[in-house]
Amino acid sequence: MKRRQLLLGAVSLMASAALVTGCGSTPSATSAPTATEDPSGTITFWSSMAGMDKVAAAFNASQSKIKVNFETIPNGGAGGYAKLSTAITAGNGPDVATIEYPQLPQFVSNGQLQPLDGLINKAETVDKLTDETKALVQFGDQTYALPYDAAPMIMWYRKDMLDKAGVGTPKTWEDFEEAGKKLKAVAPEAYLASFNPNEAALTAALSWQAGAKWFGTEGDSWKVGVNDAATQKVATYWQKLIDQKIVKVQQSFSDEWSADLASGAVVGVLGANWSATGIQKRTEASGQKGQWIAAEAPNWGTPADAFYGGSSFNITKSSKNPAAAAKFVEYLATSQDAIKARGNTGSAFLAFPGLTPVAQQAFDASYFGNDIYAVFDKAYSTITPGWQWGPNWDITNTALKDAYGKLTTGGKVLEAVDTAQTATVAGLKQSGLSVKE
Amino acid sequence: MATQIPTTTGAASTRKQRAMSGTGGRTAALFLTPFFAVFALAMVAPVIYSIVLSFFAQQKSGLGFGEAKTSFVGLENYFQVLQSESFVGGIGRLAMYCALYIPCMVGGALAFALLLDAAVARARKLFQLLVFLPHAVPGVIAALIWAYLYTPGVSPIVSVLESGGIELNFLDNQMILPSIVNIAVWEWTGYNVIVLFTALQAVPREILEAARVDGAGEIRAALSIKLPLILPALSVIMLFTVIGTLQLFTEPSIISKATASVTSTWVPNMWAYDAAFNRHNLNQAAAASIIIALMAAVLSWAVTRFSSRMNKA
Repeated sequence: MKRRQLLLGAVSLMASAALVTGCGSTPSATSAPTATEDPSGTITFWSSMAGMDKVAAAFNASQSKIKVNFETIPNGGAGGYAKLSTAITAGNGPDVATIEYPQLPQFVSNGQLQPLDGLINKAETVDKLTDETKALVQFGDQTYALPYDAAPMIMWYRKDMLDKAGVGTPKTWEDFEEAGKKLKAVAPEAYLASFNPNEAALTAALSWQAGAKWFGTEGDSWKVGVNDAATQKVATYWQKLIDQKIVKVQQSFSDEWSADLASGAVVGVLGANWSATGIQKRTEASGQKGQWIAAEAPNWGTPADAFYGGSSFNITKSSKNPAAAAKFVEYLATSQDAIKARGNTGSAFLAFPGLTPVAQQAFDASYFGNDIYAVFDKAYSTITPGWQWGPNWDITNTALKDAYGKLTTGGKVLEAVDTAQTATVAGLKQSGLSVKE
Repeated sequence: MATQIPTTTGAASTRKQRAMSGTGGRTAALFLTPFFAVFALAMVAPVIYSIVLSFFAQQKSGLGFGEAKTSFVGLENYFQVLQSESFVGGIGRLAMYCALYIPCMVGGALAFALLLDAAVARARKLFQLLVFLPHAVPGVIAALIWAYLYTPGVSPIVSVLESGGIELNFLDNQMILPSIVNIAVWEWTGYNVIVLFTALQAVPREILEAARVDGAGEIRAALSIKLPLILPALSVIMLFTVIGTLQLFTEPSIISKATASVTSTWVPNMWAYDAAFNRHNLNQAAAASIIIALMAAVLSWAVTRFSSRMNKA
């Protein structure tokens, strides 16, 4: 089953690659800049990630040819992508930018990024990545980014509450529902987790894990399946959890969510490896140290996971010095020194082999009741292959978020994914893309 | 909405007279140039650019990994915007917002101003300050404060209501509109009280005294003397309020972080923002902006028309 999926994924990717090059629409195939052996100059770097200023400083200190000016920008949710996109279009964007995987294809498709081929040392960077992460940064036959973190979806629980309910760590989604019911029996007011209407990417991850393919290419057309069979299964299941009050519908990272975690009204978080600091920050003051554990996300029978979040580094169209930018991108994505320089800025899990142990060393995980990195490793090894992000994630993202707005007044998860499908297809068609449902 | 009401008509007309007498033409030009230069650069040029943008469209093809083609499409963008369910829905929502907001805010401001005018001198200063204070809080901050006050689990108001047995979610689909109206009323009433109060101060005291001699009480004087005399100020307020309402953006955008009930295209301005920065369709965003501006123009024309007729009558 699995091998077949992989094979199919590979075939469809190759087919799309062949076509994209076939119709000659790859913009810079002819004008691909060649790597300068010894680039120099000043470049700018935009990121919303904490600690990146330290990484830029460490890079500047490590050599004298290239000088990086770092600027913090707001994160995507706060308008960071709007800023980046507008700046690149206006020609005054940074040389190096930070873009999350779901948004990456739309920057590529808008012609706002430069392919890294010919600029970076492929053998030492891209070729060492796993196929699942490579698939996130390569379009057509070109590489548009080097991945930084690859965030496996992780389920976080309050161990003490699971014990109180008399259940072990749920292995499957069926177990999860059962655990929720048992928790209700001992703590009627408590929820096992929350369903986040503001996180369309989480619905995507849950569907991805269940084998859904929201986006794919078929010939010269996009195939959109935001409400495909696997997603419908996921939607129906979560509706059941919402109806039984096993999960609470609330915006993640909101004041309400924070208050519920602190008070114990919500005893689990469906997140990713990066959720650790957020959980610690919100629950430490209420004495929950040692009670939170990380676990692989429940599955549909066989171990499977998906990426939920993660960023990549890119060279934008506005860069006048792509050779120097490429050197810095390589440093950011593959150098242990870069990870060391960033210090303790959360429980990062990195795509490039050999970097995660460095991040692990910098992160103090003593707040948690189990070996969280061991869980991350396991989850990372079960990522379902073959997922692709579409050419305009923001359309799907807003459509789904907007439709989820009705959840508190009788709307259904299933209706929401249907709405998102319709909106995505209509939106892509409107921009002239060829779309098949 | 925070535009100052012009009070320099007198000065302007004297200047005009002087200019006509032939001495200050060059001086006037010298003084006016900086204004018109900035106005042309920051106002006229972007508007023209938007209008031009709105007649074009960027078309991709196939998978979209290539250069998009820009082509002239005439009024196509305008049709698309007006056909969009979410844009029209946003206008409907805005209409409901106006229906709730304008009577509450203008009525409240009028009541406060009349009360202030009737109050004893010492209390007047204090109340004037208290009523105006919310307006000193920037819109973004006000929205953040209210988002906190509305959020269940953290809001003291919600928990007090809950302990009194009232289950009320200010942020759900039905309550969200009144909740946002409330923020705007809180923010803008004080400002308009000051405008109306200033107008009330200008009501000739002799007329009021005459009314009193004729036996009019405070209420009768307020309704029959003061109200008709401040109608011009009231119509100015209506004008600014209507235009301001069309520009509704800050409060719902901030509140949308706290609840999913506020969608990304909740009001027309948010629709334009979403078109530009989420859907990357600058052309459609330009068309939407022009439509919003036209609506503002038509509405302001209607309001001035209506109020000048009222004033004459």
